[in-house]
Amino acid sequence: MMKRFTSAVLSKRRALLACCAVGAVMMASPAMAAEFVLGSELPLTGKLARVGTGMSEGIAIAIDLANAKYAGQHHFSVQTIDDETNPAKAVAAVEKLASDHVVAITGGYGSNIIGPASEAAAKAGLVYMTSGGVAPELTQRGLDSFFRINNADGYGKAMVGLIETMGAKSVAILYSNKEATAAMATYVQKALTDKGIKITSHEFDDTTTDFKPIMNKVKLQDRPEVVAMIGYENDYIGILRAGAVLKPDVKAMVGVWSLATAQMNKEFHDQVQGVYGTSPLPYPVVFKGGEAQDFAAAYMNKYNREPDYLQQFGYVQTMLLIDAIARAHDNDGKIEAGEIARELRATTTPTMIGDVTFDKNGDNPNFTHRMGQHQGDRVELVWPANAATAKMNYPAVPW
Amino acid sequence: MLELILQALYSGLLAGGYYAMIALGLALVFGTMRIINLAHGELVLLAAYVAFEMERSFGWTPLASIPVALVVVGLTALVIYLLIGRIRQDRELNSLILTFGIAIVLTNLILMIWSADIRSTSNSWFMDGVVLGDTLFSMRGEVIFCVIGVLLLAATYWWLNHTWQGRALRAVASNRDAAKLMGVNPARIEALSFLVSGVLATFAGVAVYTASVVFPAVGHNLTIKAFVITVLAGMGSVPGVLLGAVLIGVGETLTTTLAKPSLQELTGMVIFLLILFLRPSGLFGRKGMVKK
Repeated sequence: MMKRFTSAVLSKRRALLACCAVGAVMMASPAMAAEFVLGSELPLTGKLARVGTGMSEGIAIAIDLANAKYAGQHHFSVQTIDDETNPAKAVAAVEKLASDHVVAITGGYGSNIIGPASEAAAKAGLVYMTSGGVAPELTQRGLDSFFRINNADGYGKAMVGLIETMGAKSVAILYSNKEATAAMATYVQKALTDKGIKITSHEFDDTTTDFKPIMNKVKLQDRPEVVAMIGYENDYIGILRAGAVLKPDVKAMVGVWSLATAQMNKEFHDQVQGVYGTSPLPYPVVFKGGEAQDFAAAYMNKYNREPDYLQQFGYVQTMLLIDAIARAHDNDGKIEAGEIARELRATTTPTMIGDVTFDKNGDNPNFTHRMGQHQGDRVELVWPANAATAKMNYPAVPW
Repeated sequence: MLELILQALYSGLLAGGYYAMIALGLALVFGTMRIINLAHGELVLLAAYVAFEMERSFGWTPLASIPVALVVVGLTALVIYLLIGRIRQDRELNSLILTFGIAIVLTNLILMIWSADIRSTSNSWFMDGVVLGDTLFSMRGEVIFCVIGVLLLAATYWWLNHTWQGRALRAVASNRDAAKLMGVNPARIEALSFLVSGVLATFAGVAVYTASVVFPAVGHNLTIKAFVITVLAGMGSVPGVLLGAVLIGVGETLTTTLAKPSLQELTGMVIFLLILFLRPSGLFGRKGMVKK
């Protein structure tokens, strides 16, 4: 009896010890957990303030959702510095973030700004992740620490694909002489010429506000079937207004980023009707899949409006980076030099913008955009066929 | 080709009209106080955003929003004057730094209030085409504000030459101490020049909002354009401002038509440097007006 009692007490002790051991292990997990501060260098003021703010909002949502995803394991926060749309200040911002020991950089907008900023990050041994610079030169520098989820080719392929689908025989390209837009114009010009399409092109700079002289050349000399616009919102509105006054005999006006958006549909409704632009999503936004819906709900909750492509890209790039950081840390409880970059190169993740992988230069070879068209109060996806939400209206111009 | 050149000349003339409106306010302050108000472009921008807010909130047309914009921009111009008035030494240099700082503050204030999105009127009446002789095309808003610009220039010219305040302003510009001896209160006259500058900036801002697009960073470009035209014109010369503005406008559009659109800004600068080289006092500046 006594022996049975002793055995019972011992087994209770063993159970207690086992519980303590489990408790100790469980207590040990939070000790392995870590606090990660990401750095973000973005144009929140200056010419690129709008796009910088958009990306910043996407990053903020990624941080919120990552903290929910890794709750009890890791905690993430972001330290943001405004680069004022200035390359020198972007470099200073990256150096400041590095001195504050951030774990990696997410952000950057404008290829001419991202170039020097990502070099500063490389010197500091930090990964630089972006969706704001599409110039080919950025991934031709041999930087091990530079990653981006989109590129000019992806935008160019979509524009060329749409124009090919239209069956246009001649195209006039109007493009801004900034680094990314000029690079994309070169890509589009070559791709369309290779397909036997007649091309004329007109380069303008970012101080151009009156596009009537250019549009008059298009109307009287070029006489194209399609006008391709490669610039930014203010350029598009200037070109479309010049078109509405001069009424060139064209069948379509096609742009790239920042054009087929909810904002443009709302603010410049009549001026953008029938106009095409790259767009990852239709408007009103329809999100498919759990993560996309979580993102949309979190964004609506935080900012009380629907997310746009800028927030979407900002979210995707930051979430990929956060996952890579968590994996790098969880391997052995610490992050060694080059480990985040190695984890990113091992990434094969389906995201809201499609599958993302990174090649040896940090580029995402899978990136292909979709083309949307303003149709009434909606932006419908019209290219490629497998992503289309509506039939393309062609020919269609706003005037 | 003739059609292209005619359209370029026409567009250049229209652009000149509203460039002149932007530049005249800067020229006036530069002429009276020897102060380059580097926040002038931001005053123009502020007027544009007031027009935007009136249109968004109350559905007012840009023209109807001018009285509200006049009050907001006029008061802001007076505040800038009061801040400059506190400078006790090296006013020309220190005011440059001060107004540069004010420009940054105004830009960021606009950014905080109205965000960085691009804005322009959604009133289609101003965007409707006006066609002259099947060859010359423009938006109705451009024509209206070009005419308003020329009328404002004429009114300012008349005011400077035919009213007591105008003459007093010229007297202060010419010799501040002598003007004081003649019973002119320079501080009051300088405040008046800032106020008139604000009025001109208001019309320019509403014109820019109507004929083009605005965003917070655009004020800096407007200041540069106004400064180039002011220097081209010759210090404080109203006819010079008009001629300089038209020269820049036509130069830009002809460059777009005959060469490359991306060279138009360069053309403006070449005209600027060429005229400064040939006439260092500007188109209508007198040699005596330039400090030695």
